[in-house]
Formats: sequence, structure tokens, C-alpha cells
Amino acid sequence: MTLEAHALTKAYRTLVALHELSFVAGAGEVIGLLGPNGAGKTTAIRLLTTILAPSGGRFAVAGIPHTRPAEIRRRIGVLPESAGYPDRQTGAEFLRYHARLYGHPAPSARATAAALLEEVGLAERGKSPIANYSRGMRQRLGIARALLNDPAVVFLDEPTLGLDPAGQEQVLRVVRGVSRERAATVILSTHLLAEVEEVCSRVLILNRGRLVADGTVAEVARQAAAPRRGRFPDLGRVRPDDGRAGWLVVDAADVDVQGATAALGAAGITVLAFELEGARLSDAYLAMTEAG
Amino acid sequence: MAVVARQELRDLWIGGRGLVLAFAFSVLLSAITYLGATNQALNFLERREAVNLTLQVAVGVGALLTLLAAADAISGERERGTLESLLLTPVAREGLVAGKLVAALSLWFGALLLTVPYVWFLGHDVGAAGEAIGTGALAGTLLAVGLTAFGIVVSALADSNRISLSVGLFTLLALFAPTQLPAGAQHGWAGEALLRVNPVTAAEHYVGAVVVDQHGWTRDISWLASPLIAAVALTVVAVAVMPRFLRLRGGVGG
Repeated sequence: MTLEAHALTKAYRTLVALHELSFVAGAGEVIGLLGPNGAGKTTAIRLLTTILAPSGGRFAVAGIPHTRPAEIRRRIGVLPESAGYPDRQTGAEFLRYHARLYGHPAPSARATAAALLEEVGLAERGKSPIANYSRGMRQRLGIARALLNDPAVVFLDEPTLGLDPAGQEQVLRVVRGVSRERAATVILSTHLLAEVEEVCSRVLILNRGRLVADGTVAEVARQAAAPRRGRFPDLGRVRPDDGRAGWLVVDAADVDVQGATAALGAAGITVLAFELEGARLSDAYLAMTEAG
Repeated sequence: MAVVARQELRDLWIGGRGLVLAFAFSVLLSAITYLGATNQALNFLERREAVNLTLQVAVGVGALLTLLAAADAISGERERGTLESLLLTPVAREGLVAGKLVAALSLWFGALLLTVPYVWFLGHDVGAAGEAIGTGALAGTLLAVGLTAFGIVVSALADSNRISLSVGLFTLLALFAPTQLPAGAQHGWAGEALLRVNPVTAAEHYVGAVVVDQHGWTRDISWLASPLIAAVALTVVAVAVMPRFLRLRGGVGG
């Protein structure tokens, strides 16, 4: 396991920001960290990245216990929420400086910075001042910075926040690459559920500082959400008040689907097929959090 | 620490505020030197007094520049959102603080370098240039180290850059205030104690005693006690204690 947390807790006087978070993550996993604002996502990331000290519990990164924060910082890469950048520096200068802070000698820092700019698709803009970068470019530069030390675990705190669809796709492509090619564990904090369904192998849902779900996207969706809708296609004679002629769509939460099938048969309508639309992560998310 | 200091120096002097501040400092010294030189010509000011005036302004403004740069060092990073990235690196927090302290202090050495020709111009023909530059370097460096360290302390503790800069400027003005007291209030044991305890007035008194009164380097050296103590104590606090306060501010977050 590259990341293990056991009963990790952070309290500010009477406010418990994170309550006994426990989970494990293996190499190459992309874990989505979900939850409404104030759920404890950023607190969890700041604890696991040694920016904050835990009030209770423990964690380890690549086998290094949380009591050795400097060593942990050598094995993690982080894109903080709302990360700032020095506008006067170029992207290449920024990466070279941070590479030096990680102990790279000057020639190695230069080579690493160039390779990472290439990896995140910024090779052509490496010599431009960061002031001229778009938000998406800054986020990709931040991800490149997070990869400077070839980390075992990468934490990305809302990397696609405020990006247009093309920018989101570029960032997600980089995230997938980090997981597949570097075999790093990625912890992806986000509000965008579609993003999680697309790239994450597992999901953790936090609500009011507590972990309320841990599993694959399908497991978590099934755990809390009933199937959404049942559809009877090709019914021929059926003319619903709204919707497509010949189709009957029922809300599976409100209607007894078996009873509906029997009623259709009793009315002499042949049911040729029945489709039950699967549960969605968004249903589970809304059911499990105060957002719902 | 060396990597941080190098980058900070680069950011300050290449394309940063360093050159602009140095230019403004030169303009100010040019004006003071011009006034000093014309007053000499009119016999309103002794030559050594003109040198002393220029040197006192150079020391005071040079120290102010370092204080401004130091007060921005940490609270500025916090405000620009760049502090978290620095804290996430394996560099010791003491190293981060020391690197920023060195960079801010470089403004004083830049100011001192710029002061040399002005002091030489005013003081070389009365033999005051060498001792003026020497005492200015000694007293000014002690003062600049203390004020830079003070700026770092304030910057680490302040929630915003505005607070940090305001506290720094207010403190500097308070330290300079006794220089504006009437001469009578500066004498007597209470007046002298006040001047000696205040690092700014003590340093300026020492410079004046050597340059104007020609007391020699050692006769009034005890006046440098408070600048020395302030420099050492504040540097220790800045580098050894403040790293514990080098953290993010704000609420719980998401």
C-alpha cells in the first residue's frame, strides 16, 4: 500500500474538521475524494501532505509514518487548492527552482523541468512568463511541479476548477497518464462527479468530516441509490401523456416495476423488453451528503 | 537555504523591485547631497555635518528598504497563494526563512554601495569619507540586520501583507521619532538612556560622534550595543522561532 490512514482526525477547538478517516490506497489507483464544501476534503489533503498536524490517528505514505514529515514530502506531489504562481517567472524557471528545492543539481533540474513541460503539454510555452498563462496552463504547470520528485502519491485538490471542457479534458488526460505510466497513487479532490466516473477507480465520500462511502464508483452508486428509472420500449399501442409514443418510462423509486409489467400484460399489451436504468454516482452522492 | 536565497535575490534584483528601489534611493541621495553641497557653499553647514546628514539619510532609508522587503517576504507569499507550494518541499522551514532574510538584506548592501560616491564627493577633501563609509557600513549593517529580522517576524505572524507592512512602517517611524525630540530632551540620563536603548537613535548617534565630532571608532562603540543586541536577538527569533509560525492561515476549507 502506498497510502494508509487510520482514524485520522483534525479538530480546531470544538470544531471537528475530519473525524477518524481510515482508508488504504495502492499503487496506480486513482481515488476520487468527494464531498460538499466544508466536508473536510482539503483538510484531509493538508493532513496527508503534512501541511497540518493531525489531532489524532496516524497515516503513512510509501511506508513512511506521519511522524517523519520531511521524508513524506520527498515522496508526495501536491497541486494545492487555489495554488498561486510567481507571475514574473517563466514556467521553466518555476519548475527548475522547485526541482532545486527537491535537491536536483542544476543540470538535472533543467532536464527534469524540460521533460515535465513536455509531459503536460507546455513545452512550447516554457519560456513564457506565467503571467501570460491561462488557468488551464497554470493547473498543468502545477501538476508538473507535483511530479518533479517522481512521487509515490499525487494529491490534486480540485485541479479542474474553473476550466472549460477542453481544459478539463487536458488535465484529466495528464491525471490518467500519471496513474498509468508512473504507477503513482492519485488522490483527486473534486466536485465534478462526471470527472470521478471517468478517471477514478475508487471513490471516498466525505460528509461533515466523516467518511460515508468507500468503494468503486459502481459499488458506491449501488450502496446508496436505488435504480432510477424503468423503461418499457416498443409497446406499440401505448401513448403516454409525455415522452415518446410506444415507450413507457416509470420512476423505479415510486412505481412497482413488477406490478407495472403485470398491469401491462393484463391490458393486453405485450412487453417485449424492459430496461432498468442503472444507479448513478450523483444519486449516491446526494443521498449520502448534506448536499442532498 | 542557498537555493532559496539565490532565487529570492534573482526575483528581487532581476526584473523585480530591487532596481526600482535602488533608483529611487539614488534620486533621494542626489537631492540630499545637492542640498548639503549648496549649504556648504553658503557656509550654513559644516562639511562634516553635510557628510553626516547624507549618511544618516542613507542608513535610515536603506534600513527602511530592507524592512519593506522583509515584511512582504512571508505574508506576501501567503497572500499570493505561493506559500503552500514552498511548505510542501522538503526544504527546512528555517532554510526558507534564512533565504528570504538574506535576499531582503541585500537591499541594504545595494543602498550602501550607492551611498559610497555621494559620501566620497562630500567628504573626501576633509578626510571624512573613509571613516563615514566605515561607520555607516558598521552601524547601518547592524540596524539593517535587526530591522530585516523584525520584518520577517512580523511577516510570519501577520495575516495579511497590509498588516505586515503597516506594523513594520509604524514601528520604524516610532523608532525614528526620538531623533525629532528637542535637543534638551535628548540630554540628561533619561534622555541618553532613551537614545541608547533605541537601536535607530543609538546607531545614528554613533555615526554622528565619529563623523562630526571625530571621536574615533572606539570611543562611542558602546552606543552600538542596542543595535547589536537587536540584530542578534531578532535574527535568532526570525530564523529559529518563526519557522514554527510559517503556516497557512484561514479556515477549514473543503
